[in-house]
This record gives sequence, structure tokens and C-alpha cells, in this order.
Amino acid sequence: MAYQKEGVLKDGARVKLRPLVKEDREMLLKFFQGLDAKELSFLRNDVRDPAVIDHWVNHIDYRRVFPLVAEADGRIVGDITLHMRKVGWKRHLGNVRVVVSPDYQGRGLGTLLINEIVELAGEFGLEKLIAEVHLQALGAFNAFKKAGFSVKAVFEDLVKDLTGKSSDLVVMICDIQARDK
Amino acid sequence: MRLAVIADIHSNREALDSVLAQIDGEGVEAILNLGDLVGYNASPNECLELLKSRNAWNLAGNHDLALLYPERAQHFNIIAYEALMWCRQQVRPEFLEFLQGLPLVREQPGSFMACHGTPASVDTYIAYHFQGKRVLKDLFKRADLRVCFFGHTHRRALWYRDIRGTVAVRQISPTPMKLSPEEHYLINPGSVGQPRDGNPEAAYAIFDDQEFSIQFKSAPYDVSGAQRRILDAGLPPYLAERLALGA
Repeated sequence: MAYQKEGVLKDGARVKLRPLVKEDREMLLKFFQGLDAKELSFLRNDVRDPAVIDHWVNHIDYRRVFPLVAEADGRIVGDITLHMRKVGWKRHLGNVRVVVSPDYQGRGLGTLLINEIVELAGEFGLEKLIAEVHLQALGAFNAFKKAGFSVKAVFEDLVKDLTGKSSDLVVMICDIQARDK
Repeated sequence: MRLAVIADIHSNREALDSVLAQIDGEGVEAILNLGDLVGYNASPNECLELLKSRNAWNLAGNHDLALLYPERAQHFNIIAYEALMWCRQQVRPEFLEFLQGLPLVREQPGSFMACHGTPASVDTYIAYHFQGKRVLKDLFKRADLRVCFFGHTHRRALWYRDIRGTVAVRQISPTPMKLSPEEHYLINPGSVGQPRDGNPEAAYAIFDDQEFSIQFKSAPYDVSGAQRRILDAGLPPYLAERLALGA
């Protein structure tokens, strides 16, 4: 899967958007190793563990999870995944998870990646997208909001930060076809 | 007038061949094509040649415009973008002039109007109630027109606005559906080249403005042939997979 597309950030910087491929192992590992402890705490997996990355790149199935990366200066600077189910009562829904490199945060990359995955989800026939966001992950919250997601539920004191302090989990939804262009 | 309405062919030669063969037996006076002649599938030149030779009433869609003005493709998702960039490399120069001459909207006074997305934009979808309501409100202001044909969603649809202003969708039936002269309609014939409503057959519709009826039809075609062309061209495999699913 060699296709790609160029994206432009708020400051004019350009990134290459493309699906993740097996050969990205080293770059992906390096990308996750560049995140600080707070950012890592918002993720579901221990992405600093090479075995986790190995499992991901060796089991890429674009019909189940579509991973899209942003590349700049020969390194991965952003990663977004669209998680899909082909059967069952949630088959029209997709879950979105996004991570952006610290030096690219606040530059519009998160919104760019989310917009891209929303368009892609429409192509896959999905109707709504769901994002679960830790309330303290303000960058992610704002990026989802700018891309057309709205808050549908807040679970108070459901999750904890690194210090053990409880915080809210926000569930955001995007209605793909209702995003009027 | 008896009219065949087709849309969203998207370079699918096998599907277009099959639909045109079926239309030939329908006794229509004209073929109205609602745009997106190119993109996604792997036979742009063959489709353009066929449509040109048939003197169809062709409109431009968002993919046709993006082929002419690639900056428009920047808003496409990465799969659609890749297919369009491939298409730009393939399309013969003689067809660029043909595509450039396509109108965005067609009006047949006293009968219908037609567009790709909405009369105001090739990019906008009519999929949700508020979107259908907005277009029907504008159509209502036109005393001479009761019907607007549209495409873009790749899904068959029949929207109506009754005399009380209620907007809703009517369930699609395979038999001719009688329309009411007191109502206004938005009609989507579905997609020839990439149907997305669960039926992988190439979709089209027959409109009769004397009977004031619409019939939604579909034609089976060589899906595996179209899939083979996509894969041989090196286009994203998902574009081939979806043809068999009608998704």
C-alpha cells in the first residue's frame, strides 16, 4: 500500500499522510518513544514496548483497523487509527484514536489527521465515529471538536491520571454524513 | 418524455456497458447522467468515450472537477485521492475538453432540474433530513419544476415535500412509482459504478414526465472483471472489494 497524500499545517509546514506499513516498525517505535509520561498515560497500550509495535505492524488488517500516519523529515510525527467492526450492532460505527508528536502539537496536525480519517470512514460506509477522550488530554479534545465531533457523554471521575487523581472521560461523536461541506 | 437517469459511473466500464444495454430496451428518449464520470475504478477513457458517443446529457461531479482542478482533490480521503491521481495520468487529453464543457446543473423547463450533489454545490450530500429539506425548500420556490435529480451519495433515494411542507423519504420499490403532481421530489437513481446501498448491481432509474412516475432499476454486470482492472492498475484493493459488496 504505497499511496500517499500531502497535508498542510497551520504554519505552512507540510506532512505526508499515508497508511502505516510493516516497514514502519522502527519509525513508529521511535515516534512513541518521543512521547512524555503524561501523553503515554492517555494511551491504551505500552507503546514503548517493541513487542507491542511488532504485533501491530505484523498484523495490519486495513479492513479491521486502518492506521494512518503523518510523516515529516523522515520520521512519523502523528498516528491515527480507525477501528471498525464488520458485523453486529456496531457495524456502522468506528472508533478513532490519535497521537501527535510533542513538537507537532498545537499546529493543526491532530485536526488534519482526524478530518482525514472522518473522510475515510465515509468511504468505508461508516455512519458515526466515536472518540473517548481523557478530559486532561486537552489537545486531543480540541482537535476532535474542530473536526466536527461533539460531546455526547461525560463519565465523571471514571479515569485516573499518573498520580492516581480521578478525572472525567468524555465520549465524543461525529455524524459523518451530517458534516455539511 | 421518458428519460433514463444514471449517476456516479466512476470509470466502471463493465457496469456502464451493462446499464446502457439494459437502457437500450427501455424506449427512452434521452439519458441524463448526474456526474462523477471518473474516479475510483479503472476504465476512465472507455467510459468517457462511451458517454460521448451516446450524446448523453452529462453533468459534472466533484470527481470530474477534481480531475480538471487537482487542488479540489485535496479534500478527498486518501483512497479517493489516490484513485483520482491515477485517473489524471490515464485520461486522454481529448477528454479534458469534454469534461471542461460539462455543466453543473441542467434544467428542463416544465419537467425537472438535475445536479450532482445539490443545485448549489457538487460537494454537498443529500443524506439527512435537514439536507433534503433545504433543497426541497428551494425547489418549492420554482413554480415550473417538481423534480430535482441528484447523485453523489451512491444510494437510491426518493425524497418528497407535500403540500403541507412535510419532508420525508419514500421507500424505494422496484415497480414504477407514481408521483403526485402536488408534491415536490428529490430523486437519486443510485450509482452505476460503485453502488453503496447493499445491492452490488449497477443502479439507474427511468423517469416518465407524462405518467409522472419513477422506476428504480439495476443491472447485473461483470463485477470480477471490474475488480481485476482495479487490482491490475495498482489502485487500493478496497476499491475492488467494495464492488462485490455494494458498499
